[in-house]
Amino acid sequence: MQMNEFLFSMILTELEDAVGKENCSVKEIDKLTHSVDYYWLSRMWADRGRRMPEADFVVAPKDAQETSKVLKIANYYKIPVTTWGAGGGSQGGALPVCGGIILDTKRMNKIYEVNTEAMYIECGTGCIYKHLEWAANEVGKATMHYPSSIACSTVGGFLAHRGIGVCSNKYGKIDDMVLQMEVVLPNGDIIYTSPTPKHAVGPDLNQIFIGSEGTLGVITKAQMRIYDQPEERRFRAFLFQDMDAAFKASKELLQKFKPSVMRLYDEAETASLIKKVVGVERKGAFMNIAYEGLTKMVDVEEEILLETFAKYGAEDLGSEYGEKWWKEKLTFFYPGHALDLPKLYGTMDTIAPYGKIEKIYYAMKEAIETNFPQAKFIAHFSHWYEWGAMMYDRFIVDPEFVPEDPEEALRLHQAIWTTGIRAALENGGVVNDHHGVGIKLGRYVKEQYGPAMQVLEGIKKQLDPNGIMNPFKLGL
Amino acid sequence: MMSEKSKQHVESCRFCWMCHHICPIGNATGLERNTAKARALGLSLVNRGALKLSDVIDNIYECACCGGCVTDCVTGWDPVMFTKEARLDAAMEGVLPEYINKLVDNCLETGNAYGMTEVDACLAETTAKHAEKTDVLLFLGVDATYKVPTAAVNAIKVLEKAGVNFTVLAKEPASGQQLEYLISAANETKEQMVACAKELNAFAKVVVFDPQDAKVFKREYKEWGVELTAEVVTFTAYTAELIKNGALAVVNTGKEVVYQDPFQLSRDLGETAEAREVINAYAVCNEMLCHGKDTMWAGNILMKEWMPDVMLRVASDRINNAKGVKADTIVTASVSEYAALKAVAQDDVKIIALEELILGE
Repeated sequence: MQMNEFLFSMILTELEDAVGKENCSVKEIDKLTHSVDYYWLSRMWADRGRRMPEADFVVAPKDAQETSKVLKIANYYKIPVTTWGAGGGSQGGALPVCGGIILDTKRMNKIYEVNTEAMYIECGTGCIYKHLEWAANEVGKATMHYPSSIACSTVGGFLAHRGIGVCSNKYGKIDDMVLQMEVVLPNGDIIYTSPTPKHAVGPDLNQIFIGSEGTLGVITKAQMRIYDQPEERRFRAFLFQDMDAAFKASKELLQKFKPSVMRLYDEAETASLIKKVVGVERKGAFMNIAYEGLTKMVDVEEEILLETFAKYGAEDLGSEYGEKWWKEKLTFFYPGHALDLPKLYGTMDTIAPYGKIEKIYYAMKEAIETNFPQAKFIAHFSHWYEWGAMMYDRFIVDPEFVPEDPEEALRLHQAIWTTGIRAALENGGVVNDHHGVGIKLGRYVKEQYGPAMQVLEGIKKQLDPNGIMNPFKLGL
Repeated sequence: MMSEKSKQHVESCRFCWMCHHICPIGNATGLERNTAKARALGLSLVNRGALKLSDVIDNIYECACCGGCVTDCVTGWDPVMFTKEARLDAAMEGVLPEYINKLVDNCLETGNAYGMTEVDACLAETTAKHAEKTDVLLFLGVDATYKVPTAAVNAIKVLEKAGVNFTVLAKEPASGQQLEYLISAANETKEQMVACAKELNAFAKVVVFDPQDAKVFKREYKEWGVELTAEVVTFTAYTAELIKNGALAVVNTGKEVVYQDPFQLSRDLGETAEAREVINAYAVCNEMLCHGKDTMWAGNILMKEWMPDVMLRVASDRINNAKGVKADTIVTASVSEYAALKAVAQDDVKIIALEELILGE
């Protein structure tokens, strides 16, 4: 729809009526700050002094009712709506690439209930996860969702992109941590998913909206699980000389019990990041394991861990490095420690079953380093299951090889991504584990799903016939 | 023109969200622009010529400069530094928002941003009793003098109770703390500081009631080469000492309270123990979320001039932190935070100032 000055003013008054004048902005600063997220391309664009596509309106509803009003207005005028949590996404999922409305959820940050009987906190999805953790801590509980972005991402952001925390091996991903959700559909209807996440009343509505990245509606409220604090959390670090042995040892361990943290760094990451932050100056693949709960259970788990890893030749480095890693787990992500411009880089984040994930690691490494000799490929494996593992693999191009021209830099970035993702797909991998799709990976979703894509497209068509919700994201 | 050092910090913060949770203003408003990242992104585009400073200047004045983000940053990046530098640049370039210009003019004309000249009668009367020159000066500050005179009177009563022989100036010089906040290291700020130091140097010791003044006396004066020869001691540290040496009689009621650390004391001056010593002499000091150097600012009087609703929300959030640990009383050591918290109507959480606790009021 072409928006002329008159219509713009008319729509603005309607949006102001919906959320209050003070919660509806067309200010330069508000449009600017909602135009760049953690996606490398948006950052690079801004770094080159270019303006990313901006929304026409930035609105901040306080609850589902106000969200509903906004979506009804958007649907009537057929204006794109992009939901924004805290903007910490790395896939460009919250970028208003078609303009229209940015719906910022952070006013929906109320904690409605801390329920220690059913062990959940009900909150608005604009709540920063760290604040949820604080609320849980105040009653002696914990959310056990500890991603690097805990302080800068919202509950809704994690749900929309299927986020994950470092203790996922024991407590699960965000999609395992939610009971009931309140969702506003694109037509403005407010719906509730099943009061329990386990049932036999057809497909799980939670799992339709979790990971939908704002393309099917807006999640406005959620009941997030909380857990007892562990009586004890113990750490043990190991050094493997052989990645295959590390995979086998980890797989075997997971058939016996679930540690909370399991992180295996390849040689390249061990020699760079782990050396810098944790202080391990050894050749090999560093692995950190945490196991927690009741002390008597932890004792048994430690015995099993040491026994299993010894069988595969792991060198026991004791608890010190693991404890240091835990203490510094967020340090990796602060400027000065994290990857940053002027480097060109990407986190590919692939998941696959055992037997495939190892092959994918080598295939992606070879594909990227062969086709792009200017790129380095490093990886760690940070989320493990009984059936497979997730690879946090990254490509890095040093500044001297990064084109100054933003269009050329964009092309190089896209080309490396395509090469890496295709290598993953060809070897049985999944496009992404926990960062989501956004606009960055949208083009690969059809390749991933093939004819199965019509399921997602069918749901999209039914719920959002005007296609206003976060266009060009998730491949929809 | 931004310094190279500030530019480096801007470049580091512009795409970093790690301190998002700790900003009291961002938490209160939920606005994306109320983040260190947003301010840095805006300024980075100003530095690149893609935006004008005037486009982002309102946002620059939405920061409390409380330093929560600075403390939280593992790497040591300093959003307060570049925010203050942007304010100085705006003053130099003549692009200050009108509402800030007015406050600056007031500071220059009357010594306080509120443009007030009349002192509360009760305070004037109490002050007059301490007009005689002694070695010890009790410096009340503009917020207590003009906005919360009862706090100023109570501060005087505390020293009287301890039998201290002290002076209070009928017309205090401006410390420069408000100009420092509004336009940072401008010449006008430094001139105000120099004039103030000159008056304070007539005393051997200056007991500073307002942490905002204490912060500049102990930090900016030194950094900017303003010679302050008088010994500067915070009101909290001084009263803690009076209790230790027995000058202040104490009766502990056993009442459980929480303490709101003013960031100027806890973060800027590293003073966290003294107020707790005082509180624990009269009551039992418990802790709420974000305390000590990690304190969460509870609002102030100055920013109320242009962000009144936000100040209420900031204070309300902090009261909720107290409720989170089932506290029913918050003790403050900053007159400004006291006023901000008191402005929120509350039935279940009482706000009392440290001096009220000491006086048993």
